Amino acid sequence: MRNLRLIALLCAMLVLGGGLSVVGGPVAAKPAQDEKGKDGKDGQSTAVADSWSQTKEMVRRFAEADGTLYEFTNPDTGAPYQVTVSVDHTQNLRGRERVEISWTGAQPSGGRAADPYGEKGLQQEYPVVIMQCRGTPETVTPETCWTSSVAQRSMISQPASAAVWLHDLDAPAADKEKVVGVPAADKDACKQVDWNGPAYTRVTPFVAASGKVYAACDSEHMPPEAAVDSAFPPAEVTAFTDASGKGSVQFEVRSDVENESLGCNQDTACSIVVVPIVGVSCDHNVPAPTSRQSPTGSASVTGGPTATADPSGSGSPSATETVTSSPSSDPSGSPSPTEDTQPDDGNPMPLSLRGCRRGGRFLPGTSNGAGEGIDLSVGPRLWWSASNWKNRFTVPITFGPPPDACDILDSRAPTGFYGSELLAQAALQWAPAYCLNKKRFKFQHNQMPDQAGFSLMDNGGGAAALVSSAYESGSDPVGYAPTAVTGFSIGYVIDRPDNAGEYTDLRLNARLLAKLLTQSYPGSDLGRAHPGMEDNPLALMNDPEFKELNPGLSEITQEAGAALLSLSNSADVVYQLTDYIAHDRDAMAFVNGQPDPWGMVVNPSYKKVDLPRAEWPLLDTFVPQTHDTCMQANPAPYFTQLAAPVTTLRKIAEALLDAWPNVQTRCDTDVSTNPPTFKLGRKARQGYGTRFMLGVVSLGDAERFGLRSAALETKPGVYVAPTPDSLGAALKLAKQSAAVPGGDAGKKKGAGKTAPQARPTTGPVKYAPYVIDQAKVRRSAKAYPGTMVVYTAAKLANLPEEDAAKVAQFIRIATTEGQRRGSGNGQLPGGYLPITNQGVTGELFRTAQAVAGAVEKQKSAQPQEEMPSAPEVDPDHADIADVPVGAVPAAGAGETSVDAATGEAVAMPQTQAVGSDLGGRLLPLLILLGLLAGALTMVVRTVVIPRSRR
Amino acid sequence: MTALVDPPETAPELGAAGSAAVPARRRAVRVRRPRRALGGRARTPRRPAPARAPEQVEALGSVVSTATTMIALVCLWLAAQMLLLGGIAQERSQDLLYREFRTQVAGATAPVGPVTPVGEPVALLTIPRLGVEQVVVEGTASGDLLAGPGHLRNTPLPGQAGTSVVFGRAATYGGPFGDLPQLRAGDQIQVVVGQGRATFTVLGVRRAGDPLPQPAEAGTARLTLVTAEGSGRLRAISPGEVVYVDAEAESAFPTPSGLPPTVPDPEKAMGTDPGALPLLALCLALLLALTLGVIAARQKWSAVHVWVVASPLAIALSWATTDVVMRLLPNLI
Repeated sequence: MRNLRLIALLCAMLVLGGGLSVVGGPVAAKPAQDEKGKDGKDGQSTAVADSWSQTKEMVRRFAEADGTLYEFTNPDTGAPYQVTVSVDHTQNLRGRERVEISWTGAQPSGGRAADPYGEKGLQQEYPVVIMQCRGTPETVTPETCWTSSVAQRSMISQPASAAVWLHDLDAPAADKEKVVGVPAADKDACKQVDWNGPAYTRVTPFVAASGKVYAACDSEHMPPEAAVDSAFPPAEVTAFTDASGKGSVQFEVRSDVENESLGCNQDTACSIVVVPIVGVSCDHNVPAPTSRQSPTGSASVTGGPTATADPSGSGSPSATETVTSSPSSDPSGSPSPTEDTQPDDGNPMPLSLRGCRRGGRFLPGTSNGAGEGIDLSVGPRLWWSASNWKNRFTVPITFGPPPDACDILDSRAPTGFYGSELLAQAALQWAPAYCLNKKRFKFQHNQMPDQAGFSLMDNGGGAAALVSSAYESGSDPVGYAPTAVTGFSIGYVIDRPDNAGEYTDLRLNARLLAKLLTQSYPGSDLGRAHPGMEDNPLALMNDPEFKELNPGLSEITQEAGAALLSLSNSADVVYQLTDYIAHDRDAMAFVNGQPDPWGMVVNPSYKKVDLPRAEWPLLDTFVPQTHDTCMQANPAPYFTQLAAPVTTLRKIAEALLDAWPNVQTRCDTDVSTNPPTFKLGRKARQGYGTRFMLGVVSLGDAERFGLRSAALETKPGVYVAPTPDSLGAALKLAKQSAAVPGGDAGKKKGAGKTAPQARPTTGPVKYAPYVIDQAKVRRSAKAYPGTMVVYTAAKLANLPEEDAAKVAQFIRIATTEGQRRGSGNGQLPGGYLPITNQGVTGELFRTAQAVAGAVEKQKSAQPQEEMPSAPEVDPDHADIADVPVGAVPAAGAGETSVDAATGEAVAMPQTQAVGSDLGGRLLPLLILLGLLAGALTMVVRTVVIPRSRR
Repeated sequence: MTALVDPPETAPELGAAGSAAVPARRRAVRVRRPRRALGGRARTPRRPAPARAPEQVEALGSVVSTATTMIALVCLWLAAQMLLLGGIAQERSQDLLYREFRTQVAGATAPVGPVTPVGEPVALLTIPRLGVEQVVVEGTASGDLLAGPGHLRNTPLPGQAGTSVVFGRAATYGGPFGDLPQLRAGDQIQVVVGQGRATFTVLGVRRAGDPLPQPAEAGTARLTLVTAEGSGRLRAISPGEVVYVDAEAESAFPTPSGLPPTVPDPEKAMGTDPGALPLLALCLALLLALTLGVIAARQKWSAVHVWVVASPLAIALSWATTDVVMRLLPNLI
């Protein structure tokens, strides 16, 4: 009976599918006009050298009492510091993109801060200050440079000992007043400025893009984006230089979308300003008595203040204390702005000059995790001081069009391509090349789960879908044109302990990913109460398997280490990731309940979870018992809070960029109200230096935002990171196949009642997508398991003529012009492997062109006109091989090549066999049985019974 | 089922034996005797008691003949109703439906979908080549198809844009679609629905393994007739495999939106309706009650009187029971 019902269901679905196709089928297409789209001039892809490099000579100088200049040269070379700054790419940047800035030949830093960003990076000596400023190298001034706090740009009411800038050798006299820089309009508003007292003030106002001037004398007079804990963490960085004079940092640029006051965009020139701090050069305005003090003289003899502790500073530790205490203890000090109170230690030099001549308190390479005070003269706070500012490197950068450029510049209605987010970064650059060219259509990439995009396309709601695997389509056949080769990676941000910088070569295997995905790490003592997982390591950093692969990392447990931030909705990325796990014997053994060699077991909620799957479920419902009143009042499944998947890969990328895990276990109680109120939410951003976070990101995002990608295990002991080579190696393993992945299990597509046997998609194999068999990847030493191809999937029949032309145009442009590497409009950003006519991507290229042709040349099927020529059906032989009506070529097939003809006469699936044994045999059996029984009755009555009576 | 239908049919056999009182006694004896006899037979075969053999044979013979009579009656009744009587019922239903549909079309109240109450007439289907003229009812469950061809509820009505699917019985209850496989490409199928008249051209007959027809152009109507067919010598009464006839019309009526996305299993091809089981139990209980009633009545009145009264009831109940049984069988046969 069940069998029967299944078959009946199958038949009905088949019929239903046919019905839907006609309902949803748009107007039939005629052959579209061949518009190659190559004749258009694309927006602005002028070949600009993308990287930037410059060398500058810099030296700190002291003016001596005798009027001579003393220069602090590089002790290694004896010459001024030759600093070379290079930036890896500078053109067409987008908001939040990170560029790699590296330098050599700088003075080694001391007293490294735990967190170099924003205000927290100020307590360092000889750092490199990197900021984003508005203006070209010619026009940039400190007033247009962005800082996210007052302390980074202004010295408000400082004591004489800190008023180092007063003795800047290179500063004009006007900058040496008692109060400098406060705009006249804000004189009354700046209350913290000590106008008449003994303290000194130097303000660097901020001039916003709108022209508005922010006095920057307190936090009230800063641009709105500089609020404490604003939406974006500080981007300006005070980076350190190592002992060899080298350093590098990934600097995040902000467009006017993120920072309107700074206002960098496509039309506004901006720069990255790099100021290597070598120390403020000092004048000698106050003639110093020559008797007992010669700080610089001795220092110079011994090779400069950097080699050893500055004799001036270390030689008189008591002086420092006196200096800091003198202004407050001596309010009646000299009001003169330039002449300081003479301290009692007999040193005739004014405090400010002594401050200026300090050479630092920290040895090169040391850390200043506690944020102790530093010598201002060699610190980053005075980057605006003339002698520092003149050492600046100004890197001109340009911004690409904003994400909404096409919405603003092109009033035409967009044609939506729906689907995979993997294409997001490429589409960002591609879209302007379409909408700014009137000969092309207006391309719009609408991100949504692959399945949803495909369904939309299949129902006729979208011109084309962008997917990464085959899907079951309705009655219309679908062609898959390879459009981009990219993939996903496990992005991470992990700091090495002891301020040793970021960890850069994370290695992961399938079992570790399975442990993370199955929520098998308890995360904290709250999770440890989960039954069945008592002995599991708390988080990834405590897992012996992880430690073996990635030695030397901190083992301090963080809740973020128990989760891999992933997608909550259905995605081909999740399918591929779980497919990778499913092809690992150890990982599957773990998932199926076998403990790993260290005794860790899978979370019982996920035991024997079906893999692979396109959507990762949240199965654990464990609610911990705790004494925390907030958590008692707000019980929630703890492991779900840890995992907290999000809806887009972009969100994961930004979470990694900010090192802000999506762990939702924060629970604050406000006891000031009665009854107390509670606030639940996301944990705070991780502190620089203790960051530990992993997430699934697209390769495009990883490149754009400069995220690091983990190397994944393929063969035992071989770890492959995503590179163009490893993507290409994986592509070599790809086979074209029309089979719907996971269709046999019926699990992936969520259709619970699909046919029991795998149904092929209704597209010909030559237009089918490529499948990268993870089993082969596991045997390869070079292929990256996360490699994925994004396809433009479009119907090969019943697509409206207009749409067909657009889709064909898109496929052709995307696979030719769109595969040139670059940052300009229409070019291919990083994270994608260009599809070219030659090499490993050649087959993809040819398939794409074939699909473009098939899409363009499609016509509506017009079978009834052809009917007379169709062979007649013999109704008397049920088992005869009928010449199927569907195989009759559509009208007009003959006029084109064989290729085109097969593209039009759509290969349709076979009619499924539906039958019923009961239906077939019931009536004959009934009649037979009835007749037999009747005959038997007759026999018994007429023969047996009368005879027995006799 | 067979066992339960048994009792009433024993009555005539008993009735033939004699008067009202005596057969009742005899029957009681007879019921006891065969049991003993059977028990004895189980232990020892016929031979040891040759003296009682004729009695035993007679008792055994009556049991066998009673049972086989019952089996024959039930089987033949079922077959007869499926093949003959059902056809009469179906023609009657068609007449009523035609009258109703005709009125509706004339009054412009004929349903156009998307949701029509099950059992209502929705279209008039004419296949000139086969001489078929049938009113199509809404719904394709086995019970709905007793009255005529049924329209699959999650497809548009015939003639509306899209692919409409109509199921019809092949052999039983008139077998309206029994000749469907004889259609050839190019044959005409005419359909009248509430929106007007549509003429379809047959694309061909399609069986398991044949490719589906090419996707229909937008704005055209397609009609798929679905029935079953048999093979071999008993082809006409053994419809076991589903067969499709596709037809297409160039123009189409607009399709209302809001079609149900799917239909329950009993309405799919070769679907059966287990929901009829409770009703069947009720019918059988009524048959049993009738039997007991007849037995009781025979105590007082003559067999002729009793059967004059009981026969119509028995026939009506059997008819109704068979209709219910049909719902448990595949819908396309």
